[in-house]
Amino acid sequence: MFAPFYAAIADIPATIRRHRDRLERPVIGVLPAYFPLELIHAAGGYPVQLWGAGVAIDHAEAYLQPYCCSVARSVLELEMRGRAELIHAYVFTSLCDTLINLRELYRRLFDKPVLGLSIPVTQTAEGLRGFLADAIENLIKGFEAITGRRVSADALRESASRFGRVRFLQRALYRLRRERPGAIKNADFHAVLKAGFFLPVDEYGRLLENLLAGLDSIELPAGRRPRLVLSGMVFDPLYAQGLFDEAGADVVDDDFANGWRSISKETLRVDDLVEGVAEHLFGGAPCCCIHNPGRDRHDYLVRKIRDAGADGVVFWYVKFCEPDAFDRPQLLARLKQEDIAATVLEMDLSLKSIESLRTRIQAFCEMIGGLEI
Amino acid sequence: MTQLDAFKKMKELMTLYYIEAKTAANKPIAWLTSGAPVEFVYAMGAIPVYPENYAAMCAAGHQSVALMEAAEAAGFSQDICAYARTDFGQDLVRGGPAGGLPAPDFLVCSTNICKTVIKWYEVVARKYQVPLFVVDLPFLHDGLTPALVAYVVAQFQQLERFLESMLKKPFDRDRLIEVIRLSREATGLWRKILDLGRAVPVPFTSLDAFIHIAPIVTLRGTPACVDYYRLLYDEVAGRAERQIGSVPNERYRVLWDNLPIWFKMRAFEKFFDERRCALVAATYANSWGGLEDFAGIQARDAGEALAVSYLNIYINYAFEQRIRYLAQLIDEFRLTGFIMHSNRSCKPYSVGMYRLKEELSRRTGKPGVVIEADQNDPRVFADAQVEAHLDAFIDSMAPLA
Repeated sequence: MFAPFYAAIADIPATIRRHRDRLERPVIGVLPAYFPLELIHAAGGYPVQLWGAGVAIDHAEAYLQPYCCSVARSVLELEMRGRAELIHAYVFTSLCDTLINLRELYRRLFDKPVLGLSIPVTQTAEGLRGFLADAIENLIKGFEAITGRRVSADALRESASRFGRVRFLQRALYRLRRERPGAIKNADFHAVLKAGFFLPVDEYGRLLENLLAGLDSIELPAGRRPRLVLSGMVFDPLYAQGLFDEAGADVVDDDFANGWRSISKETLRVDDLVEGVAEHLFGGAPCCCIHNPGRDRHDYLVRKIRDAGADGVVFWYVKFCEPDAFDRPQLLARLKQEDIAATVLEMDLSLKSIESLRTRIQAFCEMIGGLEI
Repeated sequence: MTQLDAFKKMKELMTLYYIEAKTAANKPIAWLTSGAPVEFVYAMGAIPVYPENYAAMCAAGHQSVALMEAAEAAGFSQDICAYARTDFGQDLVRGGPAGGLPAPDFLVCSTNICKTVIKWYEVVARKYQVPLFVVDLPFLHDGLTPALVAYVVAQFQQLERFLESMLKKPFDRDRLIEVIRLSREATGLWRKILDLGRAVPVPFTSLDAFIHIAPIVTLRGTPACVDYYRLLYDEVAGRAERQIGSVPNERYRVLWDNLPIWFKMRAFEKFFDERRCALVAATYANSWGGLEDFAGIQARDAGEALAVSYLNIYINYAFEQRIRYLAQLIDEFRLTGFIMHSNRSCKPYSVGMYRLKEELSRRTGKPGVVIEADQNDPRVFADAQVEAHLDAFIDSMAPLA
């Protein structure tokens, strides 16, 4: 049932090449996070999401210091090794200081087009609207120059509908995981999400529909097992996600930037694109990288854990993400007040040994096993 | 550091500033980032307090480690900015030279120095349950555009409404113009002082600038700040005129890029003096020298002028603009090389720095070096390694003709 998703991520360049050649669309690499992929698709591009890779850092060491985040270093490593040759252009958001400067670094190092969306950080509605209108206009012009196609209102509507449909299907998968703990292994679940970073939207949507149809009849494991919510920026390294299955735990929900925080976003409104992009950036689940005083992360996470019937939360910290690290102490204190068990796991994407992670996860699961909250 | 008579005055000024901040019972306290448009806050009569300045003072006084350890014990990761950790620590243990900062009534944070400050101030806002106003000054990837200026002006208008609600009185536009005038005058003097570094021998080094920077960060917009920099300018200009150098037998003249390493100020002074190497220009110190550039301070375009000033700072520049600016400094200040501080605590300055070094050397023909360190955390500073890199760099420079 999950084989097509694993196949898509087994050889990612081959997957991208095959679909690029079939669709005849230039591949646009999208750096984290929350960029509206619909704009790229509507312009005739093929967006792929770059959330980092488990490669040893060698070439990128020359330009990104060891204290920079694993995602940035590994994505740069792929380009410098020549393993990102399929990517025709890059697009960034201003999610953090490292990504802002990485955008500049790409402009200096490579000949590929580099576009970007600075996410506004303001509660001034009028200012935000003008700023985004200008940014969107520039982006559309940029994509049109890359693909040679005009972005029409029909194309925007069509793209919004397709990506909206995919997120709707992903949310159905999330619902199933919450309502039927154990129905989907954690490793399989994240393989499904990861395949979505690289497959074209139509192909991915078709695979999701097939999967959901087949999951109705799946059998659940016997007894109640420890239930967890995972929180962090990225769920990679993917193979480490299987440790929760090994430990006999059921991950029932997540708060990953490349998981629920992205998937929770509704269908992009295109009748008023500026409003639509603003909703896309600030709507859905709150994120440590998006300043949004109207959406409190603490209340949100507590509610999420309670709604999912989870016994604890695991903070999945991929170094060196400052926004994630800043939030954690106060968030942990709040969880403690609420009597919610929590643990923090630190790693980087080129994780070589997973033994210490395995031990930590098993110990946490044993600690919370049988707890009811 | 250069023995300057003005230093005593600066110490008095800063002492009075912290005493007032800690004892003023009838004025609200605002915590601000160093690049925030403080003119609005002064215009409304609140007292601005700068956690960054205080963190630097803690490190210069070799008190930052204990404070960071307190923050780390409270769960803050060593991966986050050392200024923020020092600030969280001083707040927890009431530490540092002033025995901790006064609690804030509200916060104003601007993004022209980094996005990290948003996270820092969110932590403070949650702890104290006080309002936070963010002034977004986006990175200038494609230069200054009318849309960017309009975006910032709209936020300034909202900032005025925010301050009205905090101070419970109407915003005082006339007072704002007066504060901007004072701010402009002080930053203009600061720039003139830094420009005196063109003289050979240099009468006022970048290490001096890092010491004397405190009033321009904390007090710009006040008459005391103008008076102080007038005094300092006269003294430094006198040294320039009489050709009194700060570094004995100056042989090399270099640029410093990034924040100072606050806990190494004295050690660096000795190190560079011994090698007859003067730190002459510093992008960090220059960042407060731009405000005088704006076109007009009339009431109708004051917001626009401030928007341009606060957007247009070095650390907010695209890399091409940074390289052009650095090359210009190397040329105008007759520099023999440049030092870039890869600062673990400051990603906007440091990410991409190795590429900037390559390109700047290629463009100017001058040697450069990148040293790995941290502005506030001595625990990640390797003395022998840094000194070896600096020695090799100094050996590679052709002395001043």
